[in-house]
Amino acid sequence: MKRGLITWDKAELPPSVFEARLTRARAALAKHALPALLVYSDVWRSNEGRHLTNYMPYWNRSLIVIPRDQPPVLLCGLSPRVYPWIKSVTIFEEIRPASKLVPTLLQLCTERGWTKLGVLHLQRLTHEIYAPLSESAVSLYGIQLELTDDAEIAVHRRAEQMAQEILTAELPKGAGLTDYQFSGLLERAFRRAGAEDLVLLFSTGDSAPRPARGTMLGGKYSVAVALEYRGHWARVTRGLPL
Amino acid sequence: MIQEHRRKQLLELMTERGWDSILLYGNAWRKDPFRSLVNINFSGDHALARLSRSGEISVTFSDPWDAENASARLEPEFSRAFAGGASAIAGLEFMEERFVAACGQLPVSATADVEELRRVKTAEEIGYIKQACDLADRGYQRFVEVAEPGMREFELVAEVEAFLKENGAEDNFMLIASGGTEVVGMKPPTDRKFQKGDSITTELTPQVNGYYAQICRTLVLGEPSPDQLKAFGIFSEAQCAAQDLIKPGITAAAAARAQNDVFRKNGYGDYTGAKYTRVRGHCLGLYPDETPHILEDVDYVLKQDMVVIAHPNTYLPLSGYMVFGDTLLITENGNTRLNKTEKKLFTK
Repeated sequence: MKRGLITWDKAELPPSVFEARLTRARAALAKHALPALLVYSDVWRSNEGRHLTNYMPYWNRSLIVIPRDQPPVLLCGLSPRVYPWIKSVTIFEEIRPASKLVPTLLQLCTERGWTKLGVLHLQRLTHEIYAPLSESAVSLYGIQLELTDDAEIAVHRRAEQMAQEILTAELPKGAGLTDYQFSGLLERAFRRAGAEDLVLLFSTGDSAPRPARGTMLGGKYSVAVALEYRGHWARVTRGLPL
Repeated sequence: MIQEHRRKQLLELMTERGWDSILLYGNAWRKDPFRSLVNINFSGDHALARLSRSGEISVTFSDPWDAENASARLEPEFSRAFAGGASAIAGLEFMEERFVAACGQLPVSATADVEELRRVKTAEEIGYIKQACDLADRGYQRFVEVAEPGMREFELVAEVEAFLKENGAEDNFMLIASGGTEVVGMKPPTDRKFQKGDSITTELTPQVNGYYAQICRTLVLGEPSPDQLKAFGIFSEAQCAAQDLIKPGITAAAAARAQNDVFRKNGYGDYTGAKYTRVRGHCLGLYPDETPHILEDVDYVLKQDMVVIAHPNTYLPLSGYMVFGDTLLITENGNTRLNKTEKKLFTK
């Protein structure tokens, strides 16, 4: 699960950024005469949903519904007890509990009179969602969206800068440690700096980079850091000697 | 890396069901179906193990580093790993539909069957869970040592995460909350600063060689209030009721009822439902929230060598959200508590 700082810094990503992104999504819906867009999101596959709404399920999975002419709705597998927090870090005003995602989605379609839905990356829906949806009365249409804009690139740059600066500063401290010990040191540095998530891989030259397994690093090693900052990933690899 | 006992179990299952082959799929979130047969901590997006009736296993990864390190097949266009299909797939529900389509004829789901095989642990698996429990205990000790007024929630999590990784954890499932009676649940850390009088709740769930163990404790910064002490008394009695009861033959429902009855007896029965809590415990293994969940409507009969946590975690108006729980190994006649951390309301 995600256990770094998840927040919404409105100076970094103002609400107007999300309004522009929703406008683009709605234009795609209008082009195909579709009433709403469906976006799948889980703890590991959250980039598209995060781009459109700033929502990231730190655990579990969710469906994001973006109607063409109404505010977005989150169908959420998490407890309603965390909805106030979700609302504080996302653009959502309406969140519906959905321990069973597809029945909740179909109920929403019935309420709103929708007989078809656009789906972002239709063939990448998980089978447990795709199978019952494709057998329902709601027709599904794959939709492509441009998910890159200046704001997105700026936060990626910030993530890349954070990964590079911290890794460069910490890299020499791994000499003589095990990869376990060094990963602890890096976790502390990155998470204290605000990393949401982190994947650390190590190599001493005798294998491809891999998760820590107790190997002594010695004086020659490389570290690959995949860092998630505010929903934006960056990967940086550095080796010692520099 | 091959879990030989699982290969044997799966071959028996395949014979029983008439399956010619079975696939075990894992992705970055749900590695567990794959790791139940091939226990490799892969770092890419997808992994697949194929077991044939002859007992042969072939492994495919989507990431070149995983493939190189495991001397396995690399398939960046991962749909191709499913060419030829299979009789059954464990993890089918988590697969992207393009992968399912690549199988040709729709395989049956083996997820539930494989999860049932996984519930009863081998001695080796129990050994890893004991190591994870030891790490959870030490991690909680670290949690108590470093928490202090003025520290932010995410800074505390960073310290604990660093400690767990330093000491060999592959991963960690961790929730946290802090504050008073306004706190209704746990979530990822925020930038809230701890204050004197805060109740800080956490679930720590470190993973060792694939296997998770958990501890749940509550720490009060400063002198606990009479209401916090009263609340902890209820949580403690409820957890003990479950721990005293759990043994082979007991249902998950009975273990949940034993806990909830303590809340009912004290006039807090309303706080045992879905509005205030999720589950009264769950199983542990290659996934931190394995089924069966400990709930009053789950009639699953617990077995020897299953590993469960009983935790009556919920909101109470006395204290806000409070947590308390330990990992339990079900033995022939009862259970053994695997955590060694003192069973108390921690204060600092």
